[in-house]
Amino acid sequence: MATITDQGTAKVGAQVGRSVPRLEGRDKVTGRAEYTHTMRLSGMLHVKLFRSTVAHGRIKSVDTSAAKKLPGVAHVVTIEDVRKVIPDPYYGPAFHDQPILADGKVRFVGEPVAAVLAADPHVAEQAAQLIVAEYEELPAVYDEVEALTSKVHVHDVLKPAGTFADLKHLKDAKGTNLALDYRLRRGDVDKAFASAAHVFEHEFRTQKVLHLSFEPHATIADYKDSGVTLHTASQGPSFVRTEIARLLGWPENKVRIKVPYLGSGYGSKLYIKLEALALALSMIARLPVKVALTMEEMFYQITKHPSTFRIKSGVDKDGKIIARKCEVYWNGGAYADIGPRVTQKSGLTASGPYDIDNVWIDSYALYTNMTPAGALRGFGVPQLVWAYESHTDMIARALKIDAVEFRRKNLLREGRPHPTGTVLKDAAIEKVLDRLVERINWKQPMDRGTGVVRRGRGLGIAIKAVISPTTSVAIVNVSADGSVALYCGTIDMGQGSDTAMAQMVGEVLNMPAESVRVVQRDTDVTPYDMGTLGSRSLFHMGHAVRRAAEDAQEKLKALACEVGEPEGSNIPIPALFVKKYGMQAGNVIGTGIYKPDYVPPAPGTGLSSNVTPFWMISGAGAEVEVDTETGHIKIAKLISVLDIGKSINPKIVETQISGAALMQLGFTMFEKMHLDGGQVTNASLADYKIPGFHDVPTAMENLTVDVTQSNGPFGAKGVGEVSTFCVSPAIANAIDDAVGVRLMELPLNPESVLRALRVKAGKPLGDE
Amino acid sequence: MYAFTYHRPTTVRQAVNLLAKNSEAKLLAGGHSLIPVMKLRLGSPGALIDMNKIEGLSGIELKGRSLVIGAMTRHGEVATSQVVKEALPALADLAGMIGDPAVRHRGTIGGAIAHNDPSADYPAAVLGLGATIITSKRRIEADEFFKGMFETALEPDEIITKVSFPLAKKAAYQKFKQPASGFALVGVFVSKRGADIRVAVTGAGASGAFRVTAFEEALKKRFSPKSIEGMTVPATGLNGDIHGSAEYRAHLIAVLARRALAAA
Repeated sequence: MATITDQGTAKVGAQVGRSVPRLEGRDKVTGRAEYTHTMRLSGMLHVKLFRSTVAHGRIKSVDTSAAKKLPGVAHVVTIEDVRKVIPDPYYGPAFHDQPILADGKVRFVGEPVAAVLAADPHVAEQAAQLIVAEYEELPAVYDEVEALTSKVHVHDVLKPAGTFADLKHLKDAKGTNLALDYRLRRGDVDKAFASAAHVFEHEFRTQKVLHLSFEPHATIADYKDSGVTLHTASQGPSFVRTEIARLLGWPENKVRIKVPYLGSGYGSKLYIKLEALALALSMIARLPVKVALTMEEMFYQITKHPSTFRIKSGVDKDGKIIARKCEVYWNGGAYADIGPRVTQKSGLTASGPYDIDNVWIDSYALYTNMTPAGALRGFGVPQLVWAYESHTDMIARALKIDAVEFRRKNLLREGRPHPTGTVLKDAAIEKVLDRLVERINWKQPMDRGTGVVRRGRGLGIAIKAVISPTTSVAIVNVSADGSVALYCGTIDMGQGSDTAMAQMVGEVLNMPAESVRVVQRDTDVTPYDMGTLGSRSLFHMGHAVRRAAEDAQEKLKALACEVGEPEGSNIPIPALFVKKYGMQAGNVIGTGIYKPDYVPPAPGTGLSSNVTPFWMISGAGAEVEVDTETGHIKIAKLISVLDIGKSINPKIVETQISGAALMQLGFTMFEKMHLDGGQVTNASLADYKIPGFHDVPTAMENLTVDVTQSNGPFGAKGVGEVSTFCVSPAIANAIDDAVGVRLMELPLNPESVLRALRVKAGKPLGDE
Repeated sequence: MYAFTYHRPTTVRQAVNLLAKNSEAKLLAGGHSLIPVMKLRLGSPGALIDMNKIEGLSGIELKGRSLVIGAMTRHGEVATSQVVKEALPALADLAGMIGDPAVRHRGTIGGAIAHNDPSADYPAAVLGLGATIITSKRRIEADEFFKGMFETALEPDEIITKVSFPLAKKAAYQKFKQPASGFALVGVFVSKRGADIRVAVTGAGASGAFRVTAFEEALKKRFSPKSIEGMTVPATGLNGDIHGSAEYRAHLIAVLARRALAAA
């Protein structure tokens, strides 16, 4: 594999812009890093779950008697037992709709109905198999479009959490599966369609896939009446603490959330997952209790949203898009999780990185009888880009305009208002497109292949707004020996955030990043952070960290002044403390808080003058080889070009770009949860394919454009998700370029390609 | 974990006796199918008879016009053997396509054939070359050996000791992988040995590996892709699952057969 990188580096100083090796790398590769999934506490009980085999049904009975009798079983718990310790056992970030264990009803296959606790996990597993449940099966709804009008309702009453103002109108709503409808209205689309020279309308679909982090979900709860400690694989300990405190009716200071390193997350460990269940079980057992999923059980925890996107564009005679109507249906599964946020926050960019005067967006979050869906590396944006960049390509093809030329004609440029009304700033869409065109040699003809193998290329560009408004707090602690520790709630789950944050501290305090200690996440110690999600941390926490370091720097200067040092003195820090305290004693504590300015989208129109503190911009180009006899696709080249402002750590940026692109390659080419009557039929890595080294494209380029995010910390902004956006449409566009067939549904697997080829040839497969 | 007895015989005779005495016992060769089955509780045999300490069950030997491979010979050994590469390169190629390096270093030819997974590669070669399976009791022709999905002609106390492959003048294997497991979605083995022409398919059959006699007939005139140009295989009776429909598998059989013929 050849890789090319050219990250622009921030030449601010000695620390920022340097490819500092990952601070925790040695511990990880030598197996010494701590993870929740492998952690044990003294006296701890293990949990195995008994799960629903029915997609939608009323629970008639749960017989736990045989399980309870098995030697070694400590407890067998159902919702009745949970209610004795937590009277209102419902949780969730947007809606309080998810019961700790199934409560009267089951809403998806795999929903936990009962929990077995035992010192030996094998005993717990054996006992769980002895539980028998009877259900009265109810009709179920699986399809997101059907869910909008279906007579089958997943929940009898909607219970918004109250956390988000725009969900309040749904309080006590009945007879609906609609958990949120986001609308954007700009201009007059109907009038524009009427005047358009061409109107194009397409429908695209994405499949159900999941995160499959290397470390499955795991939580250990250790409840005492004096306080509770949770060790948990979480991307958001502050939120977990708030939610656990709410369930207990306790102040937050009695709830302690500790998070070691995460074996990745990708959005699957956000908000609250196993924590409420582990808490309840520890309250019942009055011992530490560990709930840890297997790889297979993750198929029943959280997934990406399947989606249907109906997109319609009106184009004038000069090839300018004058109107775009977007209807997006998000399949949220049985519990809302953060789906309503996905629906709104991605919904607002559904019309793409284009300058369109008339835009109409409807984005619907829908309940269905499937595993709940949440955020997955892109917060819904990859689903949108798949549709709008395929659609854009199809229009260019139909109008016989070069695909790049057509995009250039319609690009949203700096200083112009995005359809939300927020004026575009520091969004290098055109530079990204330029670089992509150059790297993929767009202007040169390509070798189209011969015989059964045909070659083609395609590209796509995208825009995303960061989840807003969110808050981060950081503390920088300078000890009397001059060493520095950073306390921040950003979870390092493999993205290298600890290293990047240490670089920012080092930059401000003029010390090597390697010498900065980043303290493990512990809500008793580390201050508030909204969560490690949506490529927000480098920007938001980065600012908080920078401010905390600057605050410490100011306080050190003040201390120098106080002990009589002249202005500009370069007295070593330890000497400063000795001068002040007479010995090696004391601390200097710097704090930093960051919350960006934000104007919420207006109800009804979705318009906002300041919807995001920064824009994420990316483009992808793909070269494919299509085996026209088998439908097999080989990705010969995959190019990602991103605007991420300045790189704090170019090496980490490169791995973030390549990692996200390869993850999306899996979602594009083969990953799919197959469902039969709501039952996942391939809940195993033997049947659910994820990308491996053999799937890495022959050539891969992971590039950034040389720009600065003017309001970013050291000119930087987030990168974690950004290269996922365009991979799917770039490949689909390349397939069309190669063999003239258009796929409208992911994944782009060989059989789909072959079937499309056969339809095109007038000989549909199975008709011979 | 559940309890089972573990035996480690050192001769085939001991293994046969253990097998005869214990109807619940399973033979453990490479373990790549048996151990996952036990871990997933799809099977819980009361006894395991480990074949790994039995001497003389492993090895590759050219005997006249046959290549004889011991039952406990690992896929990796077959894939890299100079003898196999020269005498029957198609067989070395096939062995090199099984699973991943870890699988190839543990998995054995005898285990793979006895297990008769409908998506395994070796059954295609055994059937596609007209091999003879030599057991603790007798010799079984390939055409008589595979009896359907996970079923073989082996008797409960019978153990494969060797597989004898007649050398073919021309042979090749083409495989389209099921992406998650690496098993054959469809694998086609073709060979020509004098008048004996064989086209054997794995992965696609609802009851395991099978021969495509229509293709074989057509190839009698000339052993060339052109001879089966435009010919298709009916989808009825083929596997259809989440990895590929029966129609798609039928289509792939014809494509891969032509490609194998071109490569042979």
